[in-house]
Amino acid sequence: MTETRRAGWLFVTPIGLLYLLILLAPLSYFLLLSIFKYSAFEMYLFEPTAENYQRLLFDPYYRGVIYRTLRIAATTTVFTLLVAYPLAYFLARYGGPGRGVLMFLVIAPLMSGVIVRTYGWIVLLGAEGTINTALIWLGAIQRPIQILRTEFAVIMAMVHILLPYMVFPLFSAIVAQERNLEQAARTLGASNLRIFLEVTLPLSRPGIVMGSVLVFTLTAGAIVTPQLLGGKEMKVLGILIYDLVLTTLNWPLASAVASLLVLLQFSVIVLYFRGARGRAAA
Amino acid sequence: MPRRDEIGGWGALPRFIGAAAVTLTYLFLLAPIVIVIFTSFNPTEANAFPPTGLSLRWYHEFAESDGFVSAFLFSLWLGILAAIGATAIGFLAAYALLRFFARRRELGQALTMLPMMIPHVLISISLVFMLTVVELPETLTLLLGHIIICLPFTVAGILSSLDAVDRNLEHAAFTLGASRARVMWEVTLPLIAPGLLSALIFAFIVSFGDVYIALFLSGPGKTTLPIEIFNYMNWQSTPVIAAITSVQVAMIVVLGLAIERLVGLRHVMRIEETRR
Repeated sequence: MTETRRAGWLFVTPIGLLYLLILLAPLSYFLLLSIFKYSAFEMYLFEPTAENYQRLLFDPYYRGVIYRTLRIAATTTVFTLLVAYPLAYFLARYGGPGRGVLMFLVIAPLMSGVIVRTYGWIVLLGAEGTINTALIWLGAIQRPIQILRTEFAVIMAMVHILLPYMVFPLFSAIVAQERNLEQAARTLGASNLRIFLEVTLPLSRPGIVMGSVLVFTLTAGAIVTPQLLGGKEMKVLGILIYDLVLTTLNWPLASAVASLLVLLQFSVIVLYFRGARGRAAA
Repeated sequence: MPRRDEIGGWGALPRFIGAAAVTLTYLFLLAPIVIVIFTSFNPTEANAFPPTGLSLRWYHEFAESDGFVSAFLFSLWLGILAAIGATAIGFLAAYALLRFFARRRELGQALTMLPMMIPHVLISISLVFMLTVVELPETLTLLLGHIIICLPFTVAGILSSLDAVDRNLEHAAFTLGASRARVMWEVTLPLIAPGLLSALIFAFIVSFGDVYIALFLSGPGKTTLPIEIFNYMNWQSTPVIAAITSVQVAMIVVLGLAIERLVGLRHVMRIEETRR
């Protein structure tokens, strides 16, 4: 018995060491930097200070970045949910031919990486891109309109990139539902719409919560897509961290931004799950 | 009484609207990728679609660009090493969770998912920060970072393969006097070989597509392909990017189909499908 236990610990040692030493220890140390003073010469001084947080929360520039990040993340989450739900519902209820292929087509873009899809949107939305060409051809506009370097472009691409993260939790939630409940409602004379609104939709709540949390947190931390589609002026929290670490070399402030991001994500998770539980109990 | 089909007994009009919505969503999902592939055959400089002609100019450009080719090869090697590392470590963890700590499985499984809950940007910055404190080669750190972000996928995939193993086969081998190590090596491992292979492929895909870990951990001559593309696109963008990403998409589709054949992509992605 003790021998198997020892073998068990031996087997989990590599993953444990990796997570502890390479993931959690550096992360904790980095987040701790936010309460230390910035120094141009030594990265940081071991002097506790609140000035990084003060700057982040009261400087209008940083406030603007925080608001923009929240706005983009919230809008992206709402639109992703709206686009994902019909698809998830369809995949969960469709049993005909080609189901595997249809699932594969949702997973495949996820595997192609962020860069590939972001570039796709540059081609679609650029001045000589598909959308502008089509609009000019249709006579709707005379010359190309500016779509790249707008928040619209960023949100559109984020919805596209994160769609699978919303579809699959929804899919699981819808598939797991007791079909008899819908049948019962139908027997009692409820219309299709009413069944959907009062049975199917409330029962998909775990999927909605899971998918929304994933999409919100992934958007709030995004760098690559906002940078390439939003242009140099459109700073979000992720880009702020990137600049602070690689250009300004202000690690303590970068750490404060990162801590804010972590705090934001945890509060979203807590809010969502509490809301989900509260309503389920009611 | 009209025949009710699988899609919940909706009437003709709602079903038509639903079908239109689903078709449009697929269009939305696939259009950016399909358009990239078309753009890569464009003869001119513009990132234009529809293309104005047909040429392999940008594929030549890719093949002749030292920066992109070496980044491609670097990503390839990094992906292979990260995949091997994450699969080996992931197998040990999954095996231990099921065979040694079965009672603590839920907790253990949740712990292995840790890297998925932390934004990858933060993982990456922490690693760079670690390098300012501990002397480690940058490439090794990048590899460890990739192994970490691949582990949640490999552990989950291998766990579901191990779940499907018939325990009686292992017990039979034990009864016949085989040691635990021998049972693992000669019974369990061959049984889950498809699961291991697909974990390997999936980890490679995760590593190859990663931007965030590599964003802060790339140096001259040690840049991954996505970062090379990102840096290039910050200043300019020509269809050479389309050619490179098309090659990447082709590679990923082939690998994805391989996983689908081996175990089914859904299991690797941990998409639950428990019908009641």
